[in-house]
Amino acid sequence: MKLSKGALLLLIPGIGLFLIFVVLPIANIVEESFRLFVPGHIGASKDAPYTIFNYAELLKPAYLFYFIETLRLSLICSFLGLIVGFPAAYLVARQRSPFLRKLVVGFLIGMMFLSTMVRVYALQITFGPTGFDKVICGFLHISTNSRFYTEILVVLGLLHYVIPISAITLLGTTQNLNPRLTEAAQVLGAPRWKVHVSITVPLCVPGILSAFLICYTFCMSAFVVPMVLGKGRVLFVSNLIYSRFSEIANYPSGSAVAILMLLLSLTIIYGITTITSRLYKV
Amino acid sequence: MKRYVDDIGFGFVIMVIGLSLVFLVMPIVVAVMMSFDGRAYLGMFPPPNYSIQWYQKFFSDAYYLHGLKISLILALIAGIVSTASGVSAAIVLDRYEFRGKKALETFFLSPLVVPAVVIGFALLLFFALFGVFSGLPRLLGGHIIITFPYTVRTTLAGLVGIRKSLTEAALSLGANERQAFWDITFPLARTGMVAGLIFAFAFSMDDVAVSMFLTSPQVYTLPVAMVSMMRTNFDLTIAAGAVVLMVFTVAAIFILDRIFGLDRLIGQGIFKS
Repeated sequence: MKLSKGALLLLIPGIGLFLIFVVLPIANIVEESFRLFVPGHIGASKDAPYTIFNYAELLKPAYLFYFIETLRLSLICSFLGLIVGFPAAYLVARQRSPFLRKLVVGFLIGMMFLSTMVRVYALQITFGPTGFDKVICGFLHISTNSRFYTEILVVLGLLHYVIPISAITLLGTTQNLNPRLTEAAQVLGAPRWKVHVSITVPLCVPGILSAFLICYTFCMSAFVVPMVLGKGRVLFVSNLIYSRFSEIANYPSGSAVAILMLLLSLTIIYGITTITSRLYKV
Repeated sequence: MKRYVDDIGFGFVIMVIGLSLVFLVMPIVVAVMMSFDGRAYLGMFPPPNYSIQWYQKFFSDAYYLHGLKISLILALIAGIVSTASGVSAAIVLDRYEFRGKKALETFFLSPLVVPAVVIGFALLLFFALFGVFSGLPRLLGGHIIITFPYTVRTTLAGLVGIRKSLTEAALSLGANERQAFWDITFPLARTGMVAGLIFAFAFSMDDVAVSMFLTSPQVYTLPVAMVSMMRTNFDLTIAAGAVVLMVFTVAAIFILDRIFGLDRLIGQGIFKS
């Protein structure tokens, strides 16, 4: 149907809310990020001179480290999440019993819905001093206080969300896979592992890429997990923005970090979707 | 030889999935058990005896209760506002053809890709521009924006497969556009709408990253209260609070399944016989 006046009216609340609460605030921090920092205000003062200092400062190794750490740990998490999520999704898609299927899907959705707080707290108790940290660290021959163990905790915290989300996303892909293709390959004598390597996985690459994208953007913008499980040592870019606000109240610098982070995540999303559509014309 | 490799591979995959299952479930079991810990201090897992003292503490602690109250009010208002505006936007996106439709859809779903912290930080500065420093309006703005995309998405998902010709039939039989909307399109969108409301409620209850920036000393949400307690006073009252939050999750899933059907949320796939 053609867009009518009545229909246009229905769009107004949504567009209005987005203008007020998304577009204008982000435009505001773009402007803010080019202002010189004057202490003692929320927001730069109106007559503060323009500068690119806030961005130049971020090139220092201390700040770059936040970005590298965020990208690196997110990459590890998304990768591990896919390794577990893909076979799990495949097995659910091939599951014949409707009861089992519903059970697993319900479980996965439940895990996805689970409150971040519950997750973080549960992991903190389980893998912290009250739980199994000594067992795990003893097994790996590392100290419970080492940076490596803190990184493991952060990765586990993110994985707790990423595994269900990647399994659910990939379920859509694997259940649209024609089972005849794998059956045909097996009838023709291919062993099962080879069927999966040369048929199942290649056919699912677009789905895998989009699941990776979802996991990666989620990990990159993680905030609570590194804040609590990272114990102030493993920090993500989100935490850097928060500390600009809560600790030193440097809003122009916080805005610059926020804009950079926004650009980074949009670039990654744009990059991966372009690759997917170039390769598969979807 | 072939079967041998297959068995090893299959065994390995099953092992990885089994381990992940343990990893996903165990922390929750530990947290639930610890929340019933009978000791008066935070000790090692497993607890030697059980009691409900931490729940009594949680439900008699004014700090948490106030947070819970604010969270519920906020989730309800934000959920209703974002569902009302999100559903009407989604109906237009689904039923009408116009230029820039795809772009508008991407725009409405954009809070899903903008990092939550960026939204929180931007809103903090934006409200400060107008001298708004009280918690409730700031939190409401933030929560409406982060829940909006979910209501759009579930409504769109609920409308998929419902033929547009139904509305057109009503129009050609003499209904005006308003009647066609209220009698045909609106009832058809209802399931997606309710699912959207539940999603919005659940995500609003859960949010920390946006809320951290927008709370004021008087107006804070339960998750924010829990985070600040985790940093200052790590005890098992938080475990009791976590279990309370988990009850909301389970309830949300249950209602979602009753109304919408979990399978419809995911889709059955085209090769399901």
